[in-house]
Amino acid sequence: MKLLNDFVTGFSKQLDRIAGLCIFCTMAVVVANILLRAIFNQPIIGTYEIVCYITALAIALSLANCAIQSGHIAVGIIVDRFPLRLQAIIDFSTNLIALGFWGLSVWYLGDYANTTAMNGLVSPTAQIPIAPIIYLVALGLVGLCLVILVRTVDSLIKILADIPLFRFTDQSESISSVRKAIP
Amino acid sequence: MSAQLTGIIGTVVFLTLILLRMPIAYAMALVGFVGFSFLTSITVGFNMVAKEIFNTFTSYSLSVIAMFVWMGFLAYYSGIGTRLFIFAYKMIGHLPGGLAVATQAACAIFGAICGSNTATAATIGAIALPEMEKYKYDPSLATASIAAGGVLGVLIPPSVIFIVYGMATEQSIGQLFMAGILPGILLMLAYMATIIILTSRNPSLGPAGPKASWSERAQALRGGLVEVLLIFGLSIGGLFAGWFTPTEAGAVGAAGVLGVSLLGKSLSWKKFNNSLLDTTRTTAMIMLMIAGAMIFGRFMAISRVPFELASWTGTLPLPPWAIMGVILFIYLILGCFIDALALVLLTIPIFYPIVVNTLGYDPIWFGVIVVMVVAMGVITPPVGMNVYIIKGVAPHIPLEVIFKGIWPFLGALIVCLIILIAFPAIATILPNMLLS
Repeated sequence: MKLLNDFVTGFSKQLDRIAGLCIFCTMAVVVANILLRAIFNQPIIGTYEIVCYITALAIALSLANCAIQSGHIAVGIIVDRFPLRLQAIIDFSTNLIALGFWGLSVWYLGDYANTTAMNGLVSPTAQIPIAPIIYLVALGLVGLCLVILVRTVDSLIKILADIPLFRFTDQSESISSVRKAIP
Repeated sequence: MSAQLTGIIGTVVFLTLILLRMPIAYAMALVGFVGFSFLTSITVGFNMVAKEIFNTFTSYSLSVIAMFVWMGFLAYYSGIGTRLFIFAYKMIGHLPGGLAVATQAACAIFGAICGSNTATAATIGAIALPEMEKYKYDPSLATASIAAGGVLGVLIPPSVIFIVYGMATEQSIGQLFMAGILPGILLMLAYMATIIILTSRNPSLGPAGPKASWSERAQALRGGLVEVLLIFGLSIGGLFAGWFTPTEAGAVGAAGVLGVSLLGKSLSWKKFNNSLLDTTRTTAMIMLMIAGAMIFGRFMAISRVPFELASWTGTLPLPPWAIMGVILFIYLILGCFIDALALVLLTIPIFYPIVVNTLGYDPIWFGVIVVMVVAMGVITPPVGMNVYIIKGVAPHIPLEVIFKGIWPFLGALIVCLIILIAFPAIATILPNMLLS
C-alpha cells in the first residue's frame, strides 16, 4: 500500500509541475502574441490553438494533485456526522463508482485519440496534431483514477480494520498520511 | 420511461450522490453520462463524455479562468494586498471603526486584481486582523468585516464566477465585468455605512487608531494603489476598450502583477512556485466541474426538463417578481450548503431560461443578482467558506463569534440586493454604455 501511495503522490506531483509550467507558457505565448501584434504587426500564427492545447494540458495534468489535496469540492455536511465506519463504507462505494466511471472515460478518450490519429486530424492554422493532446488529457485522467484507487483502498482498509482477520493493516499508510507529506 | 421522468430521477440521484460526499464534478459527470446513455446508448454516452471533456479543456474562452486565477494568486503571494491595506489604514485608520472601514476599501481595491472571494478574505485578513486586535477591536466586528469584505472580490472585476456565468449563458464577459463595478462599489459603501453605524452606537467596538501624517499617507499611496490602478487599467481597461480578448486581458494582468512583483522584489522563487501550484489546483477544480456541468447539461437538454420547467413557470398565475423572489430564495437556501461556483453551474441551465426567456429579465442584470445571492452563501452558516478562511487566520476566535458578527453585513448585502432589484440600471448602465 505504501508503495502505491508513494508512486501516486510522486506521479501526481510531477504531472502538477508540468501543469504549472503550462500555465506560465500560456501567459508567455499570449503576451508575446500581443506584443508582436502591436509592435511589429506580426502575431504568432496559431496562438488561439496553442493556448487551447497548453491550457488543456495544464488542466488535465493537475487533476490528480488537486484530488490528492481534496481540491474537488464535495458537500460533507451530512456524511461528516456519521460514525467513521459508516463514512468509510460510503466513501468506498462512491469512490468505487467514480473509479469505474473515470476509468471507462479514459478508455474512451484513448479510443477517441486513436480515431483522431488514424484520420490524421490536425489543428486548422498551426497544423498541430490533435491526437497527442488527447492522449495527454487521458494521462491526466489516469492520474485522477490512481488517486481515486488509493482512496478506495484506503476506505476498504478502514472498513476492514474492525474485523480481527484484517487487523494487521497499517493505518499509517493511508492516503491521509500521504496528504500530510505534501508540502 | 419518459425522457422528463428520467431527467427528474437523474436529478434526484445526483443530489443523493453529492449528499453522500461524492465530489460535485464527479457526480455531475457520472449522472449526466448514465442519464444520457439511458436515453441514447452506452457507446454514444461514452463518446459524448470523451468529447465534452476534451472540448471543455481545450476551450479558448475558458482558458481565461486560469489566467485570472493566476493573476489573483500572484497578487496574494506578492503582498500587494498588504500594501493596499496599509494605504487605506493610513488614510482612515484614525476614525472610530476606521480600520474596519479601511478593510472594506482594501478588499474592494484588491478585488480589482483578484477574482476570488476566499483569496481576498485571506489576503486582507492576514494583515488587517492583527492590526484590529492591536487596537482592541471587537473580535466579532473585526473578523466578520473581513469575511464579508471578501465578497467584494467576486463582484468587482475580474471575477471567476462572472466568467463561469458568462460561459454558461453565452453572455459577454466584458459586459458582465463592467456590470459588477457599480454594485461592487455600492456594496462596499453599504459595508462601510454598517461599520460606521455600529461603531457610532457603541464606540468600544472599534476604537480609533493613531493618525498618520500627510507624508506617511503620500508614502503609502505609492505602496500599492498605483500598481493596482496600472494593472487594472491595462488588463480590465484593455478588455473594456476592446483591445484584448478576456484571455488576453487575464494574461496581461498576470504578466503585470508578475512584472510589478519582480521589480519590487516582493516575489521569491518559492512564492512564484506556490502561486503556480495554487493556480493549477484551483483551475483543475473549476474546469473539471465545468466539464461535469457540460455532461450533465447534455443529459438535461435531451431530457427536456429545463424547457418543460420554463414553460410550466410561464403558465403560473404569479407576477414575474414573485417567481423571481422564489428563485432567489432557492439560491439563498442552496447557497448555505453548496459552493458558489458549483451552485451557479448547477442552477443556471434550469433558472436562466425561466428568468430571461420566460420572465424577460436582463441576462446581465441576472448575472449580477446571482453573483450577489450566491456570495451570501460564503458568509452564512453552516458552509460559509470565507468565515472558515478567517477562522484559519485567527484560530483563537471561535466560529460562533465570527458568525455572530456576520448578521449586520448580511443585512447590508440584502439591502444592496433589494436596491439592485428596484433599480436594475445600477448593474446595466455601464454595460449599456460599453455597447453604445
